[in-house]
Amino acid sequence: MADVTGTPRTDGPRSTRSGPGIVLVAVYGLLALAATGRSVLQITEYFSRAPLAYVLSAVAAVIYVVATVALARGDRTSRRVALVAISVELAGVLVVGLASYLATDAFPDKTVWSHFGSGYGYVPLVLPVLGLLWLRRTARGSAAGSA
Amino acid sequence: MLFPLTVVVFAAALLLLAVSGWYAARSRLLDDRLLLVAAVLELGVLVQAVVALAHLGSVPGDRAETATFAAYAITLPFLPPAAIFLALKEKTRWSMGVAAVAAFAVAVMTARLQQIWNLGG
Repeated sequence: MADVTGTPRTDGPRSTRSGPGIVLVAVYGLLALAATGRSVLQITEYFSRAPLAYVLSAVAAVIYVVATVALARGDRTSRRVALVAISVELAGVLVVGLASYLATDAFPDKTVWSHFGSGYGYVPLVLPVLGLLWLRRTARGSAAGSA
Repeated sequence: MLFPLTVVVFAAALLLLAVSGWYAARSRLLDDRLLLVAAVLELGVLVQAVVALAHLGSVPGDRAETATFAAYAITLPFLPPAAIFLALKEKTRWSMGVAAVAAFAVAVMTARLQQIWNLGG
């Protein structure tokens, strides 16, 4: 198929921060900010209340920061880092989401991933899915996704 | 928190959300009009930060609430410039998505500031 609109590119993967990717970077950045802030507060102010939940909260914060930076950089190594970070993120939100319903005692108040991210409009649940789809789509090269 | 100030910031955020959505629909990029709306919003959140920090002593609730209040107030002024910075470099309609995300975040965080303030009744 002829693609006359796009800028001429080689066969390499498309940058993860171009097009829709820039919105993904923005949302990841925002969640990184929110998760880091909340985590710092939880650990400094009332860590003993729910150590497990708050440690997981801190892990979530780190994952979001890593994913944001990796998606924003978008080179070959970053792409691999982003894939790992976002996969962990998806597993995390699913496991913590389920655990927060089953073991309510361990999760006394909301964290980013508890209850599948309901405190953040379920964005933490949707985001890793979009992230993985985006990584897959951009891996195919410049022809994809010139909406 | 000064309620009228919250209303002004909230309205400016919604306006930015609307304009960026409209621009995205029409495939337009960042221009003076959008920058002006963003500048008004920025001015609003800066004033809000100053007012919030000046009244930090009378925030209702425990220390954690005060810390959240301060953190939100200080973080807010960074959002519009960060969004504009990202939007400038992206030359497709998706740049408007970044502006919309930031506008939405400012609206939510401003509402949250007011909510914490209202805990005092």
